[in-house]
Amino acid sequence: MEPLKRRLLVADIVSARTLLSARGLVVDRGSRKVLRGVDFSLSGGEVVGLLGVNGSGKSTLLESLAGLHPMSQGQVLRNDRSIETTVRDSEGQRGDITGFGLCLQTEGMSGDETVFERIRGACRVAGRADNSKALHQILSEWGLGHRAEDRICKLSGGLRRRVAVLSALVPVALNSEPSVVLLDEPSEGLDKSSRGLLLGWLRALAQRGHGILVATHDPEVITACDKIVTISETSELTSEVQHSKLEIANLPEPCSAESHMELVTWACRLERRNPIDTIGRGVPALVALLLAYTLSTDITRSSENYDLLAALTLTPAFITAIVTPAIIKRLSEERAGDWWRAMSGAGSRGWFSIMGVSLILPIPMIYLSWYVIAGDISSTMNSDVMLWLWLFAFVIIDLSVAASALHLMVSDLTRSGAVAGILLQLVLIWPFLQMTSALTSIMSNGMSFELALGQPFVDIAIAWLTVVLLWAMAVIIPED
Amino acid sequence: MDFRESGYALTYLGLAGIVFVSILGLEYAPGLKPCTGGGCWGAPEAYRILYLHVPFAWCSFLSFSVLFYGSLMWYLKRSEEAWVYFQSGADLGVIFGLGVITSGPIWASAEWGRPWDWGDMRLNSFALLTAVALFLLYSRQSQPDTQQTRDTLSAVGLFGFALVPITAGATTWWETTHPEVLVVESTETVGMSPDVRSFLLISFGLMCILFTGLLLLSNKRYRLAAEVSDRKNELDQEGIS
Repeated sequence: MEPLKRRLLVADIVSARTLLSARGLVVDRGSRKVLRGVDFSLSGGEVVGLLGVNGSGKSTLLESLAGLHPMSQGQVLRNDRSIETTVRDSEGQRGDITGFGLCLQTEGMSGDETVFERIRGACRVAGRADNSKALHQILSEWGLGHRAEDRICKLSGGLRRRVAVLSALVPVALNSEPSVVLLDEPSEGLDKSSRGLLLGWLRALAQRGHGILVATHDPEVITACDKIVTISETSELTSEVQHSKLEIANLPEPCSAESHMELVTWACRLERRNPIDTIGRGVPALVALLLAYTLSTDITRSSENYDLLAALTLTPAFITAIVTPAIIKRLSEERAGDWWRAMSGAGSRGWFSIMGVSLILPIPMIYLSWYVIAGDISSTMNSDVMLWLWLFAFVIIDLSVAASALHLMVSDLTRSGAVAGILLQLVLIWPFLQMTSALTSIMSNGMSFELALGQPFVDIAIAWLTVVLLWAMAVIIPED
Repeated sequence: MDFRESGYALTYLGLAGIVFVSILGLEYAPGLKPCTGGGCWGAPEAYRILYLHVPFAWCSFLSFSVLFYGSLMWYLKRSEEAWVYFQSGADLGVIFGLGVITSGPIWASAEWGRPWDWGDMRLNSFALLTAVALFLLYSRQSQPDTQQTRDTLSAVGLFGFALVPITAGATTWWETTHPEVLVVESTETVGMSPDVRSFLLISFGLMCILFTGLLLLSNKRYRLAAEVSDRKNELDQEGIS
């Protein structure tokens, strides 16, 4: 009985500590104010149920607390660490919610992940050390042990929901420091036994001093709450304290902290499993190469045609760069991007655009194009071009980062599929033309490092600078 | 010997036979005359890859026939057994299709001076066939296993098979760079010499043994996968104890 008493004492002490708070939160959706000056705080050791009619702003409040929505006034602060830090404020400051558990109304997962990878990935993002044994034990308890190696896309809706809920609960359960869990309709689609487990876990997490906010309509989930906060259509919050008598579940022992580059690992792992990025970029580039080759056979290899030959050489590699990166498709799936944005905070957009880069294809593609198209061009010029083609490939790799950032801007729109995003990519024609001009100069007069307009090195530098500016504009401006 | 063991035995036998015939093809098979039947070879010695390339191509057609059978049976019966054949056909289509489109360019580089001819119907339609098989492989793995998914992929499987006669007849209907392979019509003076033809048929026979072994193993694998999936679904229904 001794350990239990000590735990209860710890819970009593930490219960007074505010872990997450919102001050004067105003969130607009178009001309409509969804949240109007909301003040809210979540303390350790409590399960707070967030209730309200449809459209009252429950999900918006929960997602704003996760830093997902820009706000016109107010701020969200986290106090679970030794110093108070900003999750997000109306000035545009962004922090992260690393260490939190987050379950959105939709699953927020890519279908190509396996169940085990998802839970382990959520723990890694939250900064927990790998503990495969504990994770397998948890999966078995939740009836997912036999599905551990299955892709999420192969699961039924109810099982997917279990995984989504677990990926919010487990990282916090493994954290010895008081932390926060944000759950939006977690019991939606769960069967009776899973709901029972969920409620037991909520009570157990609260007993360990964590703070839990649950947006719900489910009367069964409400029985697990210590406090019920009701949000009205005018964003007024009323709270009511209650006493939950539910049994607590057995939680795994906390494990040590460890930092991981999980987003990079996640993106690489999914591409290895389902290489839609490589195929999606490679196939159009090969078709472009075929067309370029067909066109080039009728072109005389003389200096008046060098600009055309240069454009044909660069086109296949350029096409690999402007194709929609697979990471953006994966992040659009079931709001997986929102989950990652909340977890990675301010730098998420920049990271996503860098992860969407076409890193490997431009180099072989540009050399292959030259090999196919150059034909009987003189050997002196051929060797000069071969010597400097890598520089063009390097700018095209940069260009693909900018293209990726532009795709990200479009994917942020609610109905991104209804937008002709390719029109934005046309802006990248400009650096492409600069590169064409530079390659033409090298073909005509060889490489020159003279710092004057029209010289190849300057043309390449202008193309590179244009690309960097475009990238910065697409990444920085949308982040408030 | 049970079903599964015979799959392993045939696969190992086929693999050993292919290695054996490759060595024979390189070292002991008769060479080509530099000029035969009105045409001359640029690299007559490079022809030896034919002993792998042509059997790969024919077994690729067999794979697509299995895929066609699986697709058609799926539409007619909606049976798990049909889906097993569909999956095996697609997987074998990738294996043998990749065999064709990687061995072909090796010969083409020596003979034509370039690995690929974008204007040749046979080459392009074979690449398309392999692309269809690859599409089926990745799509099947990345989609939920529902009837809608199976219906859609089966339709693609039927489309893939429709490409087979086009690919097979391409060298006859569109005479371009790819040489026409004459086997039945070959005589002492027309087509390939009897020695080359015998070697080719032996090689094809061994490749067929490999194909059969892989088909048996693949079918067994997918039957077991279906059983595992059923068992997992039962466990899902049992819920959390």
